[in-house]
Amino acid sequence: MIAVESLTASKGRFTLRDVSVALPAGGYGVVIGPAGAGKTTLLEVIAGLLRPSAGTVRLGGTDLRGVPPEARGVGLVYQHAFLFPHLSVQDNVAYGAADAAAVREVVDRFGVAPLLDRAVESLSGGERQLVALARALARRPRVLLLDEPFSALDPRRRAQVRREVRALHAAWALTTLQVTHDFAEAGLLGDQAILLDGGRVLQAGPPAEVFRRPATPYVAEFLGAENVLVGEVRGSGDAAGAMGADAAVDAAATADEDATRAVVFASGPLTLHAVGDVPPGARHAVIRAEEITVSRDQAHDSARNRFAGRVVEVAAHGPLTRVTVEVRGVPLVAALTTHSARDLRLEPGIAVVVSFKAMAVHLC
Amino acid sequence: MDARAVSTSRLVSIAAALAGSLLLLFLAAPVIGLVGVGGAEGLARLGSDAELRDALLLTALCATAATACAALGGVPLAWLLARRDFPGRAVLAACLDLPLLIPHPVAGIALLLLLGRDSAVGGAALAAGLRIVGTPLGIIAAMAFVAAPLFVSAAREAIARVDARYEGVARTLGDTPWRAFRRITLPLAGRGLLAAALVTWARAVSEFGAIVVLTYNPKVVSVLSYDRLTSHGLSEALPVAAALAVLALVPLTLLRALRADAERVR
Repeated sequence: MIAVESLTASKGRFTLRDVSVALPAGGYGVVIGPAGAGKTTLLEVIAGLLRPSAGTVRLGGTDLRGVPPEARGVGLVYQHAFLFPHLSVQDNVAYGAADAAAVREVVDRFGVAPLLDRAVESLSGGERQLVALARALARRPRVLLLDEPFSALDPRRRAQVRREVRALHAAWALTTLQVTHDFAEAGLLGDQAILLDGGRVLQAGPPAEVFRRPATPYVAEFLGAENVLVGEVRGSGDAAGAMGADAAVDAAATADEDATRAVVFASGPLTLHAVGDVPPGARHAVIRAEEITVSRDQAHDSARNRFAGRVVEVAAHGPLTRVTVEVRGVPLVAALTTHSARDLRLEPGIAVVVSFKAMAVHLC
Repeated sequence: MDARAVSTSRLVSIAAALAGSLLLLFLAAPVIGLVGVGGAEGLARLGSDAELRDALLLTALCATAATACAALGGVPLAWLLARRDFPGRAVLAACLDLPLLIPHPVAGIALLLLLGRDSAVGGAALAAGLRIVGTPLGIIAAMAFVAAPLFVSAAREAIARVDARYEGVARTLGDTPWRAFRRITLPLAGRGLLAAALVTWARAVSEFGAIVVLTYNPKVVSVLSYDRLTSHGLSEALPVAAALAVLALVPLTLLRALRADAERVR
């Protein structure tokens, strides 16, 4: 439905270079990126407010070159709402409305009825965003573009509005592209995650896939992967079994994993076991903290990677605790529930065993 | 901050206030003196001096027409300068400052060259039965020439102060560029545009140099005050000059009120 191809555009200091995005009709895409990545610029090009210097934008198969914003059927909600300050809330919502029924529907859905008689200046940031959403949707656009639309809402309201947007998206089969810098939001909402940084698309795909299998170490760190180790592939397939003593000792364990796709990866003093297809030139191993378990004894589990180390830091963040364990001079970060960290009586200096499955090691 | 730093900073403030007061006194004293000495008589003359009355009316009407002309062409130009990036924008902006910099009699001569009966434009106008030089049209042309750049620069600022994203949102809500401008930018920039018009009007009212070259008769107030000074002396010129000073205070007062209102809204 939305097909952006090889788009190049610039606005002030923001530049998009060779950006391609594909979102099927009725899809929910989430563009993730840090401030200055060009996220808003991308939305403005799709809305027709900014002319690209190269590339095409198609909506539903139609090339939009030369089609003005008012004829694109695209709704846009900016982060700062941009409600028209000289109009009442009612007049804002009705500004471009398809009909009175559409106004009533969005007013009910987003609970803005009590705000209709208020002056725009008197609304809170969250209320403004609600009204801006209602204003965009009252036009019944084919495509909805959202720029950090939930950022000014308090957490309870945010969950509720997210649900409403999701419900409307489903009910109207509304193709939606949302911009956020919040990874959690991408996972919660999107069918498609698009990582944008420095004006380029780093990676795109289903959020779970992007999180589990980052294409580059930069993406991995960008998405908050705690353990990114530099090293090299020492062998793969059957040959891996012959590489080094570590692999030979655990030979029995390979039975539960596809031996033909087993890979050995050497990173300084650590030798890691991975499994799966190795992209050519892979020089990084990524292990997410939640994939690493920490125990105080040598109890055997099926994990293919197992190292003795010493706890150097324990940091509790609410229900989760991050434990940093030094293994032969290499710090590995594990995420445990605070409850189990307490049960293990973890504290700096304690000897522990960290383990993770070969499946948890992603090479890129 | 130690005691010495405090006393130094106080000394600086006192020195700045002294220097500023001298300048203010220099600026205000002649105007206050003029209105004080000639103001009452100027107002009294309004009843008896028909020539002064006519000159005041002519000045106000011509300034209003010149301001309307400046706004008609100036608002679209200001919008372009504020919103669009195009080749030569910087050059255009610089050209707009030109009329502010050249001496006003020179501007009058340049206009005479363009609009005089021997010129192409002036000749064509005359053929169409439209005399410019020596008529109120010449006054309006001179006023517009010197004052319109002020309008464009103030209007450009007023439009630039309205975030372009308001217009963008209106476009996605179905507005054509013109409709978005009329429904959103124009009302949001309205106060600034009104202020721009007031400044332009005030500048037009106070013009002398360019007008005197194009149209000596009928006389606007500035020309009348000069005429009375040269032919009848200071005592006759004084009430006319005072009346002009009072007329100039009208837009100034309105402008102040507008700004105070804007502060209150914000």
